[in-house]
Amino acid sequence: MYTRSAMFLAVLLALPGAAALGQMSQATLVKQSDIIFIGTVTQVGAVAVPEVPASNRTVVVHVEQVLEKPAAVALGAGDSVTVQTAQPGSLKPGSQATFYTTGWIFGQGVAVREVGHEPGHSPVVVADQQAAVARARLGMNDAELKAHIQKAAMVVAGRVEQVRPAELAGGAPAHRTRISEHDPQWQEAIIQVQDGIKGAQAGEQVVVRFPTSLDVAWVGTPRFAVGQEGTFVLHKDSITGSPETVIAGRSVPAYTALHKLDVLPKQDALRIRVLMKKP
Amino acid sequence: MRTRVIAATVALYAACEGATRQTPPAKVAGVRVVDLIPPTLSGETWQDAEPFLALYASNAQLMAASAFTPNPGGSASGTAPIFVSNDGGDTWTLRNTLPSEGMTADITHAVGATPPVLYSGILKVPGVPLNELKASDFLSPATMTLQASRADVDQPFVRTAQAASADRVYVGLNDFDAPDGRTATVDVSLDGGATYKSRRIETRATVGQNGPSIRPAVAQDRTVYVAYFGWRATAGSTVTSDIAVVRDDSGAGGATPFRDLLDPSDHLPGRLVATHVTIPWSNAPTLGQERIGSTLSIAVNPLHSDTVYLAWADRVGTGDIYTVHLRRSGDRGATWTGDLRTVTNATNASLAVSANGTVGFLYQQVTGSDSSSRWVTRLEQSRDGFTTHQDAVLATVPANSPPLQFLPYIGDYNGLLTRGDQFLGVFSASNTPDSTNFPQGVVYHRRVDFATHRLLDGSGATVSVSIDPFFFSVPVLP
Repeated sequence: MYTRSAMFLAVLLALPGAAALGQMSQATLVKQSDIIFIGTVTQVGAVAVPEVPASNRTVVVHVEQVLEKPAAVALGAGDSVTVQTAQPGSLKPGSQATFYTTGWIFGQGVAVREVGHEPGHSPVVVADQQAAVARARLGMNDAELKAHIQKAAMVVAGRVEQVRPAELAGGAPAHRTRISEHDPQWQEAIIQVQDGIKGAQAGEQVVVRFPTSLDVAWVGTPRFAVGQEGTFVLHKDSITGSPETVIAGRSVPAYTALHKLDVLPKQDALRIRVLMKKP
Repeated sequence: MRTRVIAATVALYAACEGATRQTPPAKVAGVRVVDLIPPTLSGETWQDAEPFLALYASNAQLMAASAFTPNPGGSASGTAPIFVSNDGGDTWTLRNTLPSEGMTADITHAVGATPPVLYSGILKVPGVPLNELKASDFLSPATMTLQASRADVDQPFVRTAQAASADRVYVGLNDFDAPDGRTATVDVSLDGGATYKSRRIETRATVGQNGPSIRPAVAQDRTVYVAYFGWRATAGSTVTSDIAVVRDDSGAGGATPFRDLLDPSDHLPGRLVATHVTIPWSNAPTLGQERIGSTLSIAVNPLHSDTVYLAWADRVGTGDIYTVHLRRSGDRGATWTGDLRTVTNATNASLAVSANGTVGFLYQQVTGSDSSSRWVTRLEQSRDGFTTHQDAVLATVPANSPPLQFLPYIGDYNGLLTRGDQFLGVFSASNTPDSTNFPQGVVYHRRVDFATHRLLDGSGATVSVSIDPFFFSVPVLP
């Protein structure tokens, strides 16, 4: 399906005025891919790594240009990659294309699963394609952030005034006597709102729960420190089992910010406002 | 020749124990140490801690291994990887076949009777629910199949046994939803994971829960032992615990399993091998950047189920941080020796007993102090209850470098198994390509420059030192 879409898009991209639609669809391919490269099919029904059995869905592609890959992956121009195609027979020997893929097997060589491909390229198009993928990735990041904001209960720009131990209700599951290496060790950050972007107003204080644990289950989770400024995308606490907390003697909702997109630089407030206004 | 090696090693050990080692560790013939990271992931810098291993008795080529290794592509695909070898551990590939977003928060696994069936217990990301999984073919690209799932569980630890009709799966776990705070549990499946029953093994009052580690071991005659921590009291971050072992003589297939080993003090199931030991529970860097608090391992002689070995760690209180103890029972757990080995400032004890009765004892110990401290990974083995033993130092690496990315630093456990005339296992350690760090030798497949002790990425640029999983094999003493 992606392959057919990509072929259709390749035609559209060649037409004046088709860039917007092409960009959107390319963004879909980019979103689902973590390894993107330009290359030429050298063998069909074959493999370049011993760990994958050859089938009518496998092709070997000579890599000419890597457009995106994880930093950990060793892959470059001149390498041969085994591709499990989305559809048998969709690629012929000598086919040149931009391949949108996800990593499958990493061993002596790399094997990937095709998400889709855009056929045809030339030396001139390589640079264009690199820029197009980068634009698509940027667009995808914006789309992901916008969706994230839409799901959030509150978005504020502000400053962390205080960090304190979490005040979880006694009956909350996370508060039961439970000793585990995965214990999140919740704390609460009190944020002084300077700019209420969604669901809050300047001057308010909001309470955000966050894990302080170093455990692997919480690796990458945003942390808060007194004096920290930022734009915070906040979600009602549905994790700890204790949805409310207390501030200045008042019972107030508690929020969490556990996703990497939940804590952004302060200057991203403007970007978020622009994104929120976009249809 | 081999006797001389053992004698020399024992003498060396006696001379050096308790003091900083000055002499290079002895080289043991036939040892392999292999970094699992494949060449196409030469740029990786993650903390690949807490390794585990599964292998087949019937196929020496196929093995599965795991660690806290992330999907190189991130979490978008909703899968996490395992390592697979189809050449007996010489090379490994990483395959994204676990249903967890990017990585797991705990993982162990064990093989089925017929290659390449694999069972796994993971804490899935996000939310860390228990997932009990099965792959009919762990070499296939298919995501492992979910067989059972529930929340509020810690440290699933999978062992299997081969029955004529179906695989039996034993998943030791700490189930926080168990009644009366008796959380030590074994999920037992007698039908290849199609159905599980949660069997509670703690019979005494606890402090509100058991310790995280619940470790099954299965002999060929279907005797199942399970070791667990009976947590009885807490004071601050210190836990007072019993070290207990239950046993079932028929594969835990009955209505009231794990009731075949009683303690003479109260006639309750669960032999108390040690009582009122002090467990330092520290979920923070405490021992060479590692956390401590739940080191436990048990292994049974596969052919003679009367003989069972047990290792745990506690704080003795003589200036130690964490001390590993090793004991043995020769009468099905009824009576136990005193410490056959006592190793200070050590963790990640793993035991295995070969078919000829030789016991293997893998552990990781911090030696030295401050900036000169090192993580030393050793496999000891003995045929005579550790009156003598062979000592193979598999790795000796700086304990302060690289800095931790998260906990566990090298793992809350590692893995040791045996097959035929080999002990086979995995451990995690700093991956600096320095031959002196690996006294038995080491093989890297990721790109390295031993001359300059540098890791290199695909383009030849220097890569930061990190924690890697290492596979090893050591010949069993004949």
